[in-house]
Order: sequence, then structure tokens, then C-alpha cells
Amino acid sequence: MSSIARTERLPAGMWPTRFIKNEAITGYGLISPAVFLMLVLLAYPFVLAVWISLTNRVLGEPGKFIWFDNFLKLLQDTFFQQTVFNSFIYTISTVFLKLSLGLILALLLNQEFRHRNLVRGALLLPWIVPTSLSVLTWLWMFDSLFSVVNYLLLGSGIISRKIPWLGDPFWAMVSVIIVNTWRGLPFFGVSILAGLMTIPRSLYEAAETDGAHGFQKFWHITLPLLQPVIAVVVLFSTIWTFADFQIVYILTHGGPLNATQIFATMAYDVALVAGRIGEGSAISLFLFPALLIVIILMLRYLRRD
Amino acid sequence: MRHKKSGSLSMGKGRPISRRKFIGMAAGATAALSFGTFIRSGLGAADLKILSWSNTLKAMDDLLRELGKEYTKAKGVGLSFEFIHMNDLPTKTAAAVESGAGPDIINMWSDGPHLYAKALVDVGDVCEGLGKELKGWTNIARDIAIVGKTWKAVPWGIIPIALTYREDWLKEVGFTTFPKTWDELLVASKKLKDKGNPVGFALGRAMGDANQFHYPLLWAFGGAEAKKDGKTVAINSPETAKAVDYRRKLHQDGETDDVYAWDDAANNRAFLAGAVSITVNAASIYWAAKTSAPHLRGVTNHALFPVGPAGRFGYSTALTLGVFNFSKYQKEAKAFIKWLMEPKQYSAWIGIGEGMMAGLLNYYEDDPVWKKDPKLETVREIPKYVRMPGYPAPPSRPAAEAMVKFVIVNMFARACKGMSTAETIKIAESELKEIYGKA
Repeated sequence: MSSIARTERLPAGMWPTRFIKNEAITGYGLISPAVFLMLVLLAYPFVLAVWISLTNRVLGEPGKFIWFDNFLKLLQDTFFQQTVFNSFIYTISTVFLKLSLGLILALLLNQEFRHRNLVRGALLLPWIVPTSLSVLTWLWMFDSLFSVVNYLLLGSGIISRKIPWLGDPFWAMVSVIIVNTWRGLPFFGVSILAGLMTIPRSLYEAAETDGAHGFQKFWHITLPLLQPVIAVVVLFSTIWTFADFQIVYILTHGGPLNATQIFATMAYDVALVAGRIGEGSAISLFLFPALLIVIILMLRYLRRD
Repeated sequence: MRHKKSGSLSMGKGRPISRRKFIGMAAGATAALSFGTFIRSGLGAADLKILSWSNTLKAMDDLLRELGKEYTKAKGVGLSFEFIHMNDLPTKTAAAVESGAGPDIINMWSDGPHLYAKALVDVGDVCEGLGKELKGWTNIARDIAIVGKTWKAVPWGIIPIALTYREDWLKEVGFTTFPKTWDELLVASKKLKDKGNPVGFALGRAMGDANQFHYPLLWAFGGAEAKKDGKTVAINSPETAKAVDYRRKLHQDGETDDVYAWDDAANNRAFLAGAVSITVNAASIYWAAKTSAPHLRGVTNHALFPVGPAGRFGYSTALTLGVFNFSKYQKEAKAFIKWLMEPKQYSAWIGIGEGMMAGLLNYYEDDPVWKKDPKLETVREIPKYVRMPGYPAPPSRPAAEAMVKFVIVNMFARACKGMSTAETIKIAESELKEIYGKA
């Protein structure tokens, strides 16, 4: 109460302006809510997960600190080896597909045509619909008995036997890759489109004057100027795809024969269903050091530019 | 607001309230509210939270809510049920166990009492009491709920898993009754497939169906993943080899290839669509036929798992009710569970289930529900044959991990895809050794 009493004696408007004028205090004051949120919502769970991954903790029991035992054992674990392999296949192929298709999509959407804004808006649909919901639809489209995809392919004579979408290790991986690509494409398309729109027209005009044709313009102007955008979307998408859970969990639950088991789904099974949360945390954090290095390199590269 | 000169808060157009007065009012209100809470808790009016799976048969959950209201009226104990999808139960349970906060009563699946033992209170008094009153517990009830020597949960019942089959199609190939042995089943399946009506037993990631078919198959041939000590891996045996050979033959001769893609719901759809003749499931197919395929209801029947060289086995998901040790109302929770298990309430509950649920107290083997429909007659016997993954050892963490990693199912699946018996068993053995080695 005393501080209130003292401020009341000050002339009107005095004490707040004095603080506001001190930029350092105002600055810290303004970012403190964000810092607080980051600490509570990001840093704490993360540090806790790192801590748990260094223990042999199982659900409901404290567990012992075992240094990097979980990580070392995982290296020997055949389930885990397959999971690592699957995760890399999944991530590399989806990011590659999303990038190449996203680039084409963005170039198309950058052309002048009727209802362009409507089409641009519609492009975002897969990104807006809740993943779990859209994946359930895909699940039905890939159903062993009622697959509408097979129905169309058979009907149009493209295939002669139905494809076991989710029933065969190879096709199951293809299925999850298709769905992930479908889902992530809008992010690439829109981000790259935004990048395209910032490229000044004058550069193209100058190139045209010099006699450059379409591909040359793309190769020497568009692509170099898009590089920072591409670097960022690839970085983000790589991280998201490595950590993906919903698509695989709903479509295949990691099967058949563990052919689509990836980090997050395996971590879920081990930590929450089998109750080994120490090992589960180690699975989900396994790639963290590698990803961290990639992130640092990427950010450094971006800053240099 | 604070630097306003007048030091008052004006609320709309009304009279300004001074800051002191406002603080005083707020403090008063807070005190009054907390006093109210204090009074309520002081009177001991418990409020029980129950977290349970959302039953495939919604009517069973509705009845639980009704029973809950009845109980609240009679005993003054508040009850709130939360029903969630069965796949979300492990996450929610884990969160409650780890944070020490959550529901008072938890519905667990099969190995739950063993996995969460440290977070559960001893409910021996409830179980022993019920056992005395209602002709004792089945063996499987003891296996799932007793950890060491302590009852860690009250066995709520099992979802009896039977072989659901098309009577009409079996008759067409000369079987007026369901095949008694696994060998006869093989003969029947071949004939069925030749007629365009293959059998189908999930070989994909169907946590329920795939495991429920393949563990009993392994046991029926005398195979087991581990020895009775629950530590020594014992999968690599001639008995396992026989089971694997059998499974491959069953797949090649009589089964649809779709099984690799099946999740827990796929075989229900396939059966109702008339695409398979025999599958493994709870009575839910039969029940669903009532609304979505009434013409199938008359020709669908249930059978026990066939007999193998080592006998007849089954694996049905068991449900238990446990009380968390962080619950403030442990006494009330136990009393409610006991009440729920008593004949009047329990019979009403399994009664509308029509074979969806079977009791694990011997008394309920003669429940009127089994007289309702001759096609559910066999379901009644299922609890006798049920074992849990890990058998002959009691349920354990490694056994649970082996199941969630589909070690046994995948062993059979690889063989069906063409891998040699010795090779697929060897892979399963090394996987099991990894898992059991961690314990």
C-alpha cells in the first residue's frame, strides 16, 4: 500500500513516463511475458524430457540416473534401427516432394489468371483442416476393401490388381509419404509464392533486354533470390516431419511389420503404452543433437546472406 | 488504471468505488468462496471422478451414468464419468500416474494393474469380499489384478473374443458345426476360400484383433514367448515352429491378403460387407449387424477358439477398475466399485451388452444375459480359456512391450509373406531378448 500512496503524491503522469523513457526497462518489461511463457511452456518440458531420457524411469517409479545408457542401448536395438531408417526415408522423400511440387505450384500461382486469389486461398485447405480429420479420410481412401483410389485406378485401367496401400511395407510407406506431402504442400507453396512476389520485376525486364529466355531467368534470378525462403521452409519442414506423429499413427500405426514406424510413434508406444518413459524420451530426443547442428548451420548461412 | 489521480475505479456510469473498498470487497468474496469449499469438504461429501474407455456399445456407458445418478441419490457421493477412446487411455493414465493428479477411479486394460501397480491402492478388501459373496474369481481375474500378493485392481470383466463366422457358408462346404480343432479349421478355410469366401485374421497393426488371434494360436501349439519365470525367452521351440508353419498354410490356403492392412475396425467392415467368412472379434460384429446388415444376423454365429496340441486358449482384453493412491476419496471409491460389481447393477450392465462384456466372478457365468440369445451361449465360456500375453508368466512390462511392438504378430506375418520358419522365429527371439533383457 505504501508504494501506491507514494505514487499518488506524484504529479499526474510523472512516474509512468519516467519508466517508459528508460528504454532498457520498458524493453525488458515488454518481452518479459513472452520470456515467461517460453520458460514455462518450452524450456521446462524440454529440460524435463532431457532429464528423463538420462534415467531408466518407468511410469509411476522414480528411476535411476544412468547417463547415456538409453541412447547407447538404442543404437543396438533392431526396432530402433528400423525406425531411424524409416524416419529418414519418410523425411527426405516428403521434403523433396514438397519442395519440388511447392516450387512448381508457386510458379503457377504467380502467373496472371482468372480467380487467382480464390485458387490461392483454396490451396491452403489441406493445411487448415485438422490433420487427424483429413487423415481419417485418407484412411478410408486407402481401405483394403473400399479404397476409392483403387476403385478409380482399376476403373480407368491404370492398374489390374488392387494396390495393398496400407497392407504392404512398401506401399504403406508410399501412402504415408503421399499424405504428408499433400498436407505439407500448401506451406511450401504459399511461402515460396510470398518469396516470388518480392522479386522486383525490373530484374526480369533487364534480363529480357539482355535476351534471357524462360529457364535462364528462373535459374539466374528466381532461384538465387528464393534461396533464403527455401532454406527456411526446408528447415522447418524437416524438423516437423521428423517429429510427425498424427499421419503415421492414424494411417498405419507404424505397421505393417514396423515398416512405417518413425521416431514419434515408436516413442509413444515405448513410453506411454509400455511405460518405459526414460527410453521413450531418449527415442524422441535422439535426433536432437543432429537437428541442432543443422539449425545452427542454416541460421548462420542465412545471416551471412 | 493505477495512475488515475482519483484512485478510484469507476464501473460504468454508476458511483465510483474507491480502490480500498474494491480490494476489501474482493478479499471478502474470496474468503466467502473458500469458506464454502471448506464447508463442503468438511462434510465429507466426496466427488469421485471416473475415467473409462468409451464403450463400443454406447448404451453400456449410458447405463453407467444412470447407475451413477442412482448411487449419488442414495449415498450422497458425487460421481462424474469421463469416457474416452480406448487408444487415449494409456496417455491419460500415464499423465495421471506421473503428475499424481487426475481421476479417482481408473479403468485399465489387461496388463494395467501390473504396469501402474505403484500408483494404485490395495483393493484386496473389495475383491475378497466380492469373491466370498459371488462364488469366487476366475483364474484369469487373479492373473490380471494381483501383483505380487496384492489385489491392485478390481477385475471389471473381459470383452470376450470369439471367432465370428458365417454359418451358411460353412454349411455350404460341409461343416454343420464349427471346426473343433485348428487342423479342421484349416480344412474348412481352404474350402471356403475356394468358394470365394476366404477367412481373415488381422496381421496388421490391429492392437486388439491381431494379438487376440495370434497369442492363442501360439499357445494352442504349445509355444510361448517366455518361461514361467517371466525372464527367460523361450520362443525358439519346435512348438512355435509348428504354430508358424500352420499359420503360413492357413494364410496361403484360406485367407484374404487384405489382412496385412487391417486395423481393429477393418475386419468388422469386411465381415459385414460379406468379404470374409470367419474372423476374430468381440460380439460387436453381431451387434452391429442388427443395424447395418440385418440380413447377416441370422447367419452369423460365434465359436470358441479351436483346440490345438496343447489345448484350447484365448486372449480377450480384460478391464479392471483401480483406485489411484493420490485420490482423496479412496474409501468412497472402493465402496462405489463394490456396489457396481454387485448382481443388481452388474447384471443390468452386462445385460444390455449382449455379449460385449463377460464377468470374471464365477457367479456371472450363469447370468441371464447368456440365456437371451443362443448365439451368445458359447461366449459365456470364454473367460475359462483366457490367458494374457506373457503366459505362462504373469502379465509384465516386457510382455506388454512385446505386444505393443507386435513381436508375435509380426513373427507370423513374416512367415505368411514367405520368410522361412526358422528365420522369422530367430528375429522374434532376438527382439524378445532385447525386450526381456531390459527388465
